[in-house]
Amino acid sequence: MTIKNDSFGRFDFVGKAWLFGGISLILTIASLIYLAVNGINYGIDFKGGTEIQVKFAQSVTIEDLRKSIDDLKLGEVGVQSFGEGNEYIVRFQGRTGKTDKETNEILNSDLGKIRNVITTQFASQGPDIRRVDTVGPQVGAELKRNGVLAVFYCLLVILIYVALRFDYKFAPGAVLCLFHDAVITLAVFVAVGKEVNVAILAAIMTLIGFSLNDTIVVFDRIRETEGHYHDKGFGFVINRSINEMLVRTLITSGTTFVSAICLYIFADGTVEDIAFAMCVGIFFGTYSSIYVAAPLVLLMEKLNLKKARA
Amino acid sequence: MEGLRWRSILAALGVAAAIVWVLPNVVNFGEKAWWPSKQKLNYGLDIQGGLHLVMGVDVDGVVSESTHRLITSMKADMQKENVAVKDVKSVNPNLGEVTIDVNDAAGKAAVEKFLADKYSTVLQVMSSTDTSITTRYFDAYLNDYKNRVIQQAIETIRNRIDEFGVAEPSISQQGANRILIQLPGMEDAEKAKQLINTTAKLDFMIVSNEKSPQELQAMIAEAEKAGNYSMTTMKYSDYVTKLNADLASKLPAKSVVYFEKSANATTMEAGAIPFLLKTDTDLGGDSLDDAFVGYDQYGAPQVSLHFNSAGSNKFADLTGNNVNRQMAIVLDKVVKSAPSIRDRIAGGQAVITLGGGRDRNGMMEEAKMISTALRAGALPASLEQLEERRVGPTLGADAIDKAKLGSYVGAAIIVIFMLAYYKAMGAVASLSLGINVLALFALMTSMGFTLTLPGIAGIALTVGFAVDANVLINERIKEELRLGHGLNVAVKEGYHRAMSAIIDANVTTAATAVVLLYFGTGPVRGFAVTLLIGIVTSMFANVFVSKVIVDLLVHKFKVKKLAV
Repeated sequence: MTIKNDSFGRFDFVGKAWLFGGISLILTIASLIYLAVNGINYGIDFKGGTEIQVKFAQSVTIEDLRKSIDDLKLGEVGVQSFGEGNEYIVRFQGRTGKTDKETNEILNSDLGKIRNVITTQFASQGPDIRRVDTVGPQVGAELKRNGVLAVFYCLLVILIYVALRFDYKFAPGAVLCLFHDAVITLAVFVAVGKEVNVAILAAIMTLIGFSLNDTIVVFDRIRETEGHYHDKGFGFVINRSINEMLVRTLITSGTTFVSAICLYIFADGTVEDIAFAMCVGIFFGTYSSIYVAAPLVLLMEKLNLKKARA
Repeated sequence: MEGLRWRSILAALGVAAAIVWVLPNVVNFGEKAWWPSKQKLNYGLDIQGGLHLVMGVDVDGVVSESTHRLITSMKADMQKENVAVKDVKSVNPNLGEVTIDVNDAAGKAAVEKFLADKYSTVLQVMSSTDTSITTRYFDAYLNDYKNRVIQQAIETIRNRIDEFGVAEPSISQQGANRILIQLPGMEDAEKAKQLINTTAKLDFMIVSNEKSPQELQAMIAEAEKAGNYSMTTMKYSDYVTKLNADLASKLPAKSVVYFEKSANATTMEAGAIPFLLKTDTDLGGDSLDDAFVGYDQYGAPQVSLHFNSAGSNKFADLTGNNVNRQMAIVLDKVVKSAPSIRDRIAGGQAVITLGGGRDRNGMMEEAKMISTALRAGALPASLEQLEERRVGPTLGADAIDKAKLGSYVGAAIIVIFMLAYYKAMGAVASLSLGINVLALFALMTSMGFTLTLPGIAGIALTVGFAVDANVLINERIKEELRLGHGLNVAVKEGYHRAMSAIIDANVTTAATAVVLLYFGTGPVRGFAVTLLIGIVTSMFANVFVSKVIVDLLVHKFKVKKLAV
């Protein structure tokens, strides 16, 4: 038997929920518009193309490298310096042929030409081709489709699980909150100029995973508190639950955030992207489980009552 | 505490098993037989470096080619059987759809009888009018056929890859018409791609008896000694080229030496049988229509060959001129089989009976191997490179080192915080976090999963969940203590009440991980796998083991105060 306490705690989350809910709504819509207008910069995983990462033992300027590759006239080729020292990423889309098969062949032959230039013209600078990724158009389209499907089915599974395990009034809150986090993070990714590829997709999954964990834990507490305070109204229940969970939420988010930051600072490439997603995700995931998921449950509850009264 | 003894034993066993499996990753047990596990964790190509290729197989092209061959042989058969038709033409070659135009009702009946007699297992009649019949392959036949095309392409690629001696090549079917090739540590990517892309070459060659096997062996040994090389020091194709160049002056004119892998040898080098072959036969894959495993009158497997019309004449001449000699089936300079010719074989159909004295399974295997080799040369599927990912060994090593450093720093910060904030319970939490990571690597190792870079991110997320589980439990214990409960009640209630949140969170995450595993490809899967395993080990370490430790402290060692 727990001792009942009539106060909901230190902070009135629900009272400000509409304010933050509004901000979230605006932020989500703004992100969607931003993504729609600006477009998503798909990496080669999704749109097909080639990426070559090359490191030289001796100094090579980006201009030299770019000039040698431009001389091949392979359409638009991007050269970007990477990491520290003489490391570069050469990126190109490849020209499109009449059929996918032709595009593929062009892609492969262009790849050969660039590799040839790097290993012959810069032979004395000690080139080390560290990574080559070539994705043909068919595979890219398929990866993109599978990625979108994976996200969609994930959300569907979560919707069903939450509706069954908790109550259906909890389900839309959980899913919309994940959608909110995913869209805003994607917008952040695009805004900081990251290309969207399979690794970023994995990163978004990581963020969904974290945000989901946070939301479920808060929901769990709401359900428990609900049993003790039937008479106090749902707003009170939510407020009290969140307040009681506040220390846990801050500690978990804080420690995970710190370790994600460490990973972000030290690692690079794929792991860096995923760590970045985790940092953004932990921030929005924590925020959204308090200010997005819970108020949505409240909203669902109100709609419910209205329907019951009518 | 109910069952504490058993729970302690179980926890200890679990941790011990984890240590047993993880240790070979850090300590080299070498040949020491007493350590139960030798397996090491697999690293993905993105970590250890290597070549990853996805090849598209032009299955439709092969089917369409086979439809055209079907038409040719059908026309020839009809002529032979005096079935009068106006025309036989392909409608939709990808499905084997063929329309046969006839003159009248009698002609139509004759064609129907002909089809029922000869093609009843292959072709189904789709529709017919007074003057034409349209047929196509049975779906089951078509699917089986497509599947064989893929298998034969895989077999051909495997033959080629064997040349490189790559430690653990993985060649597998992906989807309906793709082949995924993974070659860890592959350095010479250009050569590998080139080899994979060349189509298989099939030759029928007559075995020459101008030199006895002993003479041949002696000549090879001499050449190897003079040039100081052997099959083990060179790639097979280079070896064969060099050997034949060295022996050119000593061999009879128009002949070459190729090798067969002896039946029970694991590699070519372990048991190669030389054959002296005549090069003047000019009968190759283009002469062959199809080859498949059939059965003789006693039910023993045999290989049936169908030659096309040009090929059947050549084959008849060749067999007629070489009765009682051996004819070698050579795929990519490797002798696959060398059956003896008993008679002149006319009519374009031949069978290869397998040597007796073996069990049926062995014969079946050989029959399949020979027919696959024949088909690979007869109807080579063209391959198209769809995806190439190559990671140099230095990059992977760099990436993993940096990720490791980041994780260590992160882990250290978490442990310091846990100890400072939760004190004694923080120590338990840190210990169980350690066991969690240990168990995760142990499970990955024992189940033979591959660790990829996104997998490392999955581990990071798992650790985040595990921290959360510990925080949830400790916060609950604090709450219970605040309510004035004694330590043992607080611990019991703390774990009990935290459990529903932990389980809910884990089950939801597991469900999404399963979805990811199902829909994801490559990196997404690597991520999902570690996430799933991480959930299991997190439940074991942070819920089960940590409870056992706390229960032991409270009930066994009668600790009265535990700083939380």
